[in-house]
This record gives sequence, C-alpha cells and structure tokens, in this order.
Amino acid sequence: MLLPGRNPGRAAAPGIVITFIIRRLVATVFLLIVVSMITFAIFFLIPRLAGQNSYELATQYVGRNPTRAAVLATETKLGLDKPIYVQYGTFLKAIVFGTHYNSGTSTTYCTPPCFGYSFRSQQPVWPQMVSDIPVTLSLAVGAAVLWLVGGVAIGVLSALRRGTFFDRFSMGVALLGVSLPIFFTGLILLELFSYKWPIFPNVTFVPITQNPLLWARNLVLPWICLAFLYAALYARLTRAGMLETMSEDYIRTARAKGLRERKVIFKHGLRAALTPIVTIFGMDLGLLLGGAILTEVTFSLHGLGLFTVEAVQNQDLPEILGVTMLAAFFIVIANMVVDILYAVVDPRVRA
Amino acid sequence: MRRPRTIGLAALGMAAALALAACGGSSGGGGSSSSSSAGFNAAVTSVVNPSSHKGGTLTFGDSSTPDSTDPGNTYYAFMWNLTRLYTMPLMTYKSCPGKCGLQVVPDLATGPGVVTDNGLTWTYHIQPNIKFEDGTTVTSADVKYAVERTFDRAKLPLGPNYFSLLLAPQKPAYPGPFTDRSKNLMGLKAVTTPNATTVVFQLAHPFADFNYVVAIPQTAPVPPNKDTGTNYQLHPMSTGPYKFSSYQLNKQLTMVPNTFWKASTDPNAKQLASKVTVTWNMNANDIDNRLLAGDLDVDAAGTGVQAAARAKILSSPTLKASSDNPISGFLWFTYINTKVAPLNNVDCRIAVEYAANKTNYQTAYGGPVAGGQIASTVAPPNVIGQKAFDLYEATSKPNGDLAKAKAALKACGKPNGFSTGMAYRSDRPKEVATAQALQASLAQVGIKLSLHGYPSGTYFSNFAGVPNYVHSHNLGLDIGGWAPDWPDGYGFFDFIAAGNTISPAGNTNIEELNDPVVNNLLNKMATTTDATTRNSYTAQIDMQIMKDAAILPGVYAKSLLYRSPNLTNVYVQPYYGMYNYAVLGLK
Amino acid sequence: MAAPLDVPSPSGDVAPEAMLAGISSKDIEGRSLGQIAWLRLRRDKVAIVGGGVVVFLILVAITGPHLVQNPDVYHANLINPTFSRPNGPFGGISLAHPLGVEPVTGRDVLSRVVNGAQVSLLIAFLATALAVGIGVVMGIIAGYFGGWVDAVIARSMDVFLAFPLLVFAIALVGVIPSAAFGLSGNSLRIGLLVFVIGFFAWPYMGRIIRGQTLSLREREFVDAARSIGARGPYILFRELLPNLVAPILVYSTLLIPTNILFEAALSYLGVGIIPPTPSWGGMLSDAVNNGYYSVDPMYMIIPGVAIFITVMAFNLFGDGLRDALDPRSSR
Repeated sequence: MLLPGRNPGRAAAPGIVITFIIRRLVATVFLLIVVSMITFAIFFLIPRLAGQNSYELATQYVGRNPTRAAVLATETKLGLDKPIYVQYGTFLKAIVFGTHYNSGTSTTYCTPPCFGYSFRSQQPVWPQMVSDIPVTLSLAVGAAVLWLVGGVAIGVLSALRRGTFFDRFSMGVALLGVSLPIFFTGLILLELFSYKWPIFPNVTFVPITQNPLLWARNLVLPWICLAFLYAALYARLTRAGMLETMSEDYIRTARAKGLRERKVIFKHGLRAALTPIVTIFGMDLGLLLGGAILTEVTFSLHGLGLFTVEAVQNQDLPEILGVTMLAAFFIVIANMVVDILYAVVDPRVRA
Repeated sequence: MRRPRTIGLAALGMAAALALAACGGSSGGGGSSSSSSAGFNAAVTSVVNPSSHKGGTLTFGDSSTPDSTDPGNTYYAFMWNLTRLYTMPLMTYKSCPGKCGLQVVPDLATGPGVVTDNGLTWTYHIQPNIKFEDGTTVTSADVKYAVERTFDRAKLPLGPNYFSLLLAPQKPAYPGPFTDRSKNLMGLKAVTTPNATTVVFQLAHPFADFNYVVAIPQTAPVPPNKDTGTNYQLHPMSTGPYKFSSYQLNKQLTMVPNTFWKASTDPNAKQLASKVTVTWNMNANDIDNRLLAGDLDVDAAGTGVQAAARAKILSSPTLKASSDNPISGFLWFTYINTKVAPLNNVDCRIAVEYAANKTNYQTAYGGPVAGGQIASTVAPPNVIGQKAFDLYEATSKPNGDLAKAKAALKACGKPNGFSTGMAYRSDRPKEVATAQALQASLAQVGIKLSLHGYPSGTYFSNFAGVPNYVHSHNLGLDIGGWAPDWPDGYGFFDFIAAGNTISPAGNTNIEELNDPVVNNLLNKMATTTDATTRNSYTAQIDMQIMKDAAILPGVYAKSLLYRSPNLTNVYVQPYYGMYNYAVLGLK
Repeated sequence: MAAPLDVPSPSGDVAPEAMLAGISSKDIEGRSLGQIAWLRLRRDKVAIVGGGVVVFLILVAITGPHLVQNPDVYHANLINPTFSRPNGPFGGISLAHPLGVEPVTGRDVLSRVVNGAQVSLLIAFLATALAVGIGVVMGIIAGYFGGWVDAVIARSMDVFLAFPLLVFAIALVGVIPSAAFGLSGNSLRIGLLVFVIGFFAWPYMGRIIRGQTLSLREREFVDAARSIGARGPYILFRELLPNLVAPILVYSTLLIPTNILFEAALSYLGVGIIPPTPSWGGMLSDAVNNGYYSVDPMYMIIPGVAIFITVMAFNLFGDGLRDALDPRSSR
C-alpha cells in the first residue's frame, strides 16, 4: 500500500533515526519562521490593503472618546506607524532575544520567547498563553486517549462483526457524531448533566496538581463532547482500514500458518491499518493543542481556545500572533512525531 | 458494502434536544425557594435582606473581560461599581436604594468641593486617617498622583479623559508622571496640595458638575512609590474594604478583607464577606444557570439574564419573587443625522419619529421586561431633573402614526418617501433586530433604509462616529445607546447633543446637532452652581432636542436581574442600574 | 479537520482480449470505469438515498429562495414580547409558517432555512472547489515532475497544513474591515470565508493527488503517451487527470460537509455570515448563544437537523461513491 507523501526511507539504524530527527527539527524551525512571516503579513498587511491606515488601527486600542493625542500616543507605542518589515523585525527579535518594556514606572525584561505585549492589557502575551496551556493540554490529551482507545476499539469490533447489529448501531452513532456540530453536543451535555441533573455541576478547570479527582470530574463532560466527535471519525476509519487489511492475502497466510486469531488481528491486521490512523491522530492532536476553541467556549474553560476568541474579539494583534504561532508549533511538532512514529510502526517506511 | 440504517438515529439527536424542552419554558422550578424572597422588584426601592452577618465567599461571574482593574484606566459602568470594593475616590454615590442613590456624597473627601474663584477653583479636604492596605496613610499627594496618571494616554488609554479636558492647561502639555522629569514628580500644575489633607483643582472654565467628575474612580489615591504603571492593574493599592490577594489576568480575581479599612470612615461600603472572587470570561448561559442554581452569587456585568433564564424566571412565581427589573440608565435610540439629505430638513426627521414602530423597537431589545420601557424623551427617568413628555406619540401610539408621518413627509417635500442608509453594530443582535424592525416600519411610508452593519469595536472610531464617513455613505440613521458618565442632565446631554463635541472620529454627537438653544442651555448648566436651577435645564434641553427630532428615542433600558437568595443588603444602585456591589454580604 | 483516507488507485481499463475471438464482441463488452462504478453505486441503497438527499438539497438551494416568502420580514405580532418567544407550540407552527417563526423577530423559519441552505451550500461548494482546484493542480504537478518541484510543493503543503484553520479564520474575519477589495458586507464575508477555507485546506487534497500521481506516472499508458511524443501538460491533463477523477470526486464530496460544519462553527463564534442574511450556522448559534434554545427548542432543532441531514447525506453518498469507485473494498 503506497502511502501518499511517504517515500520509502533508508534502513533504520539509530544513527539514521537521530539524523532524521535533527533534520526535521531544522525544517521545523524554518517552517515556523515561514509561518510567522505569512501570519504577520496577513494580519498587518491586509488591513492596510483594505484601506485602513495606522491611525485608524490605533483607535481600536484606546478607550471611548479618545483625544487625538491619545490615539497618536497609542499608535507610536504600539509601533503601528512603522513599516511592516520593521514591525516584523521587532517581533522576530523579541521572540529570539526578548525585549525591554517600559511599564511607566520601571523597565522589565521580557525573556525570550517574547511574543510581545497585549495591545489591550499591556501584559506580556507569553505568560498568559503558558498559563492556558495546562487547560488545553488536559482537555486535548484526555479526550485524545478516550477517542483513540474508544474509536479504534469500536472500529476493530465493528470490522470483525461486520454486518451485525453492533456494527450497524455503532457506525450509525458514529455517523451522528461526525454530523452534529460540536457546540450543539456540548450544550446538550451541559443541559442534561450539569444543569438539569447536577452530576457534573460547575465545570471549571481545577489543576491536576491541586486536586486530581476534581480535575478529572470537571473535565468529563468536555472530554466526552470532544471525544464523541473524533471517536466517531476514528471508528469509521479504523473499520474501513481493518476491512481492507483483513481481506489481504497475508492475513490468510497468517491464519493458515496457525497463528492465534488475536495475534492475527492485532499484530498483522491492525498494525497495517493503523498507519493512516497515526497520521491523522498526529494532525488532530496537534490541531487541538492549539486550542479546542468550540469546546472551551461552550464549557468556559480558560484554555488557548478561549484565549484566541478573546484575542480576536479585541483585535489584539500580539495575542493573535502569539496564539497562531503556538498553535502552528504544536501542529508541526505533532507532524514530526508522527513521521518518527511511522518509522517505528510501519517497517516498510524504514526498509 | 451494506450500510447500517441510520435514519432512526436522527431521532436520537432530536430526542436529546427535545429533552431540553423540559428544561425551559414552563414551570422551571430551579433555585432555592428561600422563605425570604422579598418579592419582584423589591430591591429597586428597598434593601433586601439587610444584615450585618459576616463570612462566606462572594462569587462574581462575568462573560467578558474587564477593560482594566486599574481604577485609573477603566470606563465600564460595572467596573466603576466593582472598584468600590477596593478603592475610595474623593466622592461617590450614596449607598441607598431609589432616587436617594443618585446623590453624590463625599467618600475619601470630608465634604463636597468648596467652590471659589467664580467656579474655577475646587478645594477638597480628605479624611486624615485613611490607610492603604499596607498601613501607610493616604495623603493629598496620592490623590494628585492618581489624577496625574490619567494624563499618560499612551500607558493608560482606556479611562475617561475629563481631567485633561477640564483642568487648567499648562504649556508644554503635561505628559503624565511616567515621562515627567520635574522634581518629585508632581508636575501637574492645575492640582495643588497645600497640605497633606487638601487637594485643590484649578479648572480651565467653570464646571458645576465637578463633584461628579471626582466621583469617577480615577481620583482613588495611588501611592507614587507603589505605582507600577501598566502593571498596576495586577495589584492596585487598596483603600476600600477589600484588597487583591491574587489576580490571574482575565481569568480569576480573588480579594480578601483589607485589615486597614475602617467602616466608620467609609459608610458607603461594607466588609461582610470573608472572600470575594470574580471569574472572567465565563459562558453567558453558564452564568445564568449557575446563578439560578445558587452556585454563583452575582453576574458582574449587571445587564441582566439571557432569554433562557428570563423565561424560567418569569414563568416561576418563586423565581420571579427573587428578581428585579430596574431601569439600567441606558437609553437605546437612533441618531437622526441632521446633515445627510433629506434628513437635514426637520420635517423629514419628524416623519421618521412618527413612522417608527416603537413597539417593535422594544420587542427587538427584548420586550417590556428585558428590553425596556418605550421612550418618549431622550433622558431616561433616572437622570436628575428629567420630566416625561411625548412629542411624537411614542407612548400613546406606540405602533407609529403613519398619517402624521406622511403629513411630515409632504411638509419636507418628499411625499413618497426617500432613501437613506442605516448604520448599526452587526455583532449586537438587538441592534440587528432593531435595524430590521425600523427598516420594515419606515418602509410603510416609503422611507427606504439600506442597512449597514459594522463591528462594535470600530463603530465609533471608524464608521458611524466619523462624520465624513457618515456623509459619504449616506448614513442618515445610526443606532446607538448612551448612558451618562454621571446622572445629571449635563452628563447625559453633553456628549450626544452639544455642538462643540462633534469630532472627526470617535464622535458621539452623531446626529451632528448644533442647536444654539441646546448649546446655550448646556453652557448655563456648566456654570450654574445652584443645583435646582441647573437641574431645571435638563427638561428644557430634552424638549429642544426632541423638537429638532435629532434623536429617535427607543427604550429606556431595563434589565432583568436575578437576585440570589444567598445575598444580603441587596438593592439596585440607580446610577449603575445594577446591584450595589460595595455593600453585598452573604447569609 | 482530519484528512481523508488515502484511496488505492482505481482499476485500469478492462478490454477483452482478442483471444476471446469467436464470441461476438457484443456479448462481452468492456465496461468503462464509469459504468462499473455506476452499477456498484446503484446497488448501494443507502448511498443512493444520500445522493438523493444531496440532489434535493442542491435543488432547494437553487430554486427554494424563489418559492418561499421573504426571509427578512418581521412578524412582531406572532411574538410574546415578555418572553420574546413565538406564540403557539413548537415555535409557532401554523399554515402560514410551516416551520414556525423565530423568537424576537417573528421571521418565518422555513424561508430562512431555505435561504440559509443557499448560503451554507454556496460557501461549502465554493470553498471546496477552491481547495480542490488548487490541490489537484499542485498535487499533479508535484507528483508528476518530482525532483525539486515536488520538494518545493511538498514543503509549502507542510506550511499550509501548519496553520490552525479555525484560529486563522476567526482572526482574519476580525481584522478585515467591513468593506475592502471592492466588496462589502456579505459578499466580502463569503469571499473571505471561501478564501480562508479553500486556500488553507488545499494541502489535504494536494497530498492525496500527489500520492496518486506518483503511482500513476509509472503506469504503461503514461509511457505509451510519452512514446508518441506527448509533452508534460498533455500527459498531465489528458492522461493523468481523467484517472484521478475518482479520488477527486470522492474527497470533494467528503470535504463539503466539513466546510458546512466549519461555517456553523464560525457563526457560533460570531464571525459567520452577517445578519440579516440567514445561514444555518447563524440560526443555530443564535439559538445557542442567546439562550433561545430553552424557550423555543425548535429554533435550535430545525437548523441543527438541517445541518445534520446535509452532512450525513454527503457523508453517506461520499462513502458510497468511494466504495463504488474502489474495486478493492470488500462488499
């Protein structure tokens, strides 16, 4: 089975794998720089192209009824009047070297990576994002475990019991899962299990270090909400992949060899079917780590997703840039991990 | 490959959704049925659950984030209410329900400003033994510094800028203490501190409302050596009953009692709860549900519950007895621009006044309970000196008077109507609904509106608030809302009707009214110190604006607030239109 | 947004050998790929139902708005002003308003759903078309020419895949003023949504097409074409492309529901279609965000079901199409 985009690699020795990793890391850095340039260009250029000048841009970041002097002061402070490449240069320099910021009474040093200061609250962006990461991480990883285990298990079982009631029912529910908008599902879960029957009241994030039980309990509903969608998808994919591989000749050979059925299914069937699953899992998890926006908004979880929504509502460019870069970083890292896992899971890539 | 039958499962989704129907509408019996539900609207006129019981955690929730917790850098009404928990400005609004609460009374000061020099000099004496949360005594220099900070619009751009507009100017312009290099950093010449308990303000011209101006949290004292500029919002030095114990920016604020605060020096606040928490950025529906379930005490924004909770509350007698429907102080209205043809002819504007369907306006904003009361005057009832009158039958013929509208159209030479544009904020569903309602009702007399929605963030700065834009895009009607920065006629009318407040961007006199009668009366209000005379001008200005048909009043906003049975000392502070946060306690 | 599965290459043409001479050629006729696929599709009842619903929806989107009443007309008399909800059960269903009316405004739900179908499907189709268009062209070029061309295109695919799509969409919508590039209002918003979705989602299609092209270019018919002197573009568009129709069709069909859900998500976050133009996502998010779901559940159920049925129909049809075009899938 030729996988799109995958060309067979060289034989795997530890040295080769390490070189591979290093090469990918370098490519990652390069990729992120390109992403940052494009993001910056889009957010800073497009308003200009659409006819807004820097004075008009600055008026969004002052309070009501501002005086002209106030707008000009803001324009200068935020650097909006400088040419694009200067603004980008400042942005990049801050990420790599950090920057100094005058709060009025003192000068603080913003340590790298420094994604600048929020236009509205004038607080550094990076610490805000870092404090949001545990929430999104808990949400994403917890849901990921649920959907991976659940989705794959259901997919395998459905494939093995093809045509039975179980198969049809689970595939039906799966179809439901991928067809309903996630905020719809989330709302129903909240209404039923949080408001009407207070089984999971007051969904707020409690850090795992503070109270693991409460942490888990408060996250159950968001996990289910998120996992439902993805489990459905993965169940369908696994089932399709399993059906394909189970009809291959080498499965028949394995059975003919007298191997136990479980070994046949898992070692031979599932393993081959897993390759596309791994690809997609990597991309999905990477995307979620950048902020499960809809889930966080529905359940009021202060993660990167909610941060993004708030940043956009306030048109807070440093925050928008910061969260886009961070999300891109997660996606790219996830893809890199997936590529490494390919070498582990699929011997044909290594060979 | 055979497919599972999935049609039946569509019912699964529907069934789950239909389960919601059981949650709403009829007889929702949530909320604790405490025996002391004082009744619907009880908190509008009286104190509900008066008590001096101490203890408990007072929990606030808000569906957005504050502009800033720095008292010198905030312009949201609910923040001005909330800052009373940790600040003492020179003056404040009296903590009592009803019209009593509209009075401005001394807070840090010992009395209202002593006016001398033909209204140009205002002297305040401050109480001698007020302490910050670290035990240092508040001096007049701290008040002066607080005012000085508001001049640095680069660092603190979000608050009102009355001081830079009203105080005597100096050359070169005072840049604020962060860039001020003068000795001891007391470079603002218009404010002097002859001794440690006296602050003297020198105005550029007489301004009779100055007591209201110093009631803004910007005069809350800030110790210069503890100021951290843009980081001050993270931990302002408290002079109020509570102080910050932790603040995760835009997420959670926790306050604990300020041990140096004394009740005898601050009769307008109380220190009852042993902890106060504010959670920001909560889902709005979530806030309502938790309020009703008793898991949250107050919705900080104070603008009322959403539709789902409203239905539950109004259909349940127990819940309704624990709710209040105060006037919030906002007028929702439509500017009728006086420069965009053919609305530059007053009769065409009068036609709009008659033809508009005010009932639909009210319904668009949420009906009589959650939207407001149909307005016939520009000033709402909680503006001092307001008198009710009705020039265009808004209350007698709320669906509009098409005959009179058509007559007015004939008088302005457009018997078959005309076309013009209408601006509104596209991310505010009520304004969207209003725009469409007006479009429909005005179309009945031939006035064709083309609707233009703009994002609220830039509505005033880039679109409706830019006269050139309004002219070039023919935006004859522009939706807006207004609440005064202080509850008297000047505070209400100055920004929206004075000829000299028309500005090229960020304009709030969007109808571009420049009526000498109005301007004159406003000037007199600014310079007359006698309160009775001053307040009598309110109704006159109101009448003149309506005669000019420069504004189409929509509704006096009302909000449906749920009064958690856990709370003590609950009443509506009429200036804020929401519960007085400074005196709340828990059972 | 998850990438679809890779599709094994479609089977090549089957032509009877001359060895079977003696049997008249009419008795054994080679079937073209299209005919084979069609026969298999016909046998898949569920896919046919899905396809039928899709066709129905497209018809509704095209002709429906002309057949229903004006979706922007208010009927304030049908609303209870205290609760802002429609009078009458099930959201005010009546003969004049078969699906009831909206809260607050009293607008007819049926006409808003039908008009919303037009908007939602328009965005989804256009965005998909853009993504597919760019993706196919890039994928074919990368797969066929290989070498540095492939490397450049593959790396740029990585760049585009690195962008968090939802974040980007909401951020961009917020940043663009309400009139730009000669467009304004909803045409600008639709253009923006189409651009964001299409422009950043093309790598999903691009990767698949690239993979397919890589395997196809080694096939004999390509060599044959080259041996008679065909040049690159000819081979690309006259030889390879027809063989790629299968995965293109399948993944387009599966991409459309993703885009419909995407528009719903954007509306939920407040950056969807600008009112008063109806869209399913807008109606759903209005019901959810403003709490009307509790006083008038039908207002949430109806657009929710509409989205659900549409997405499901496309999914079923797409699955069926994939099975029909793929000879290796077990039946």
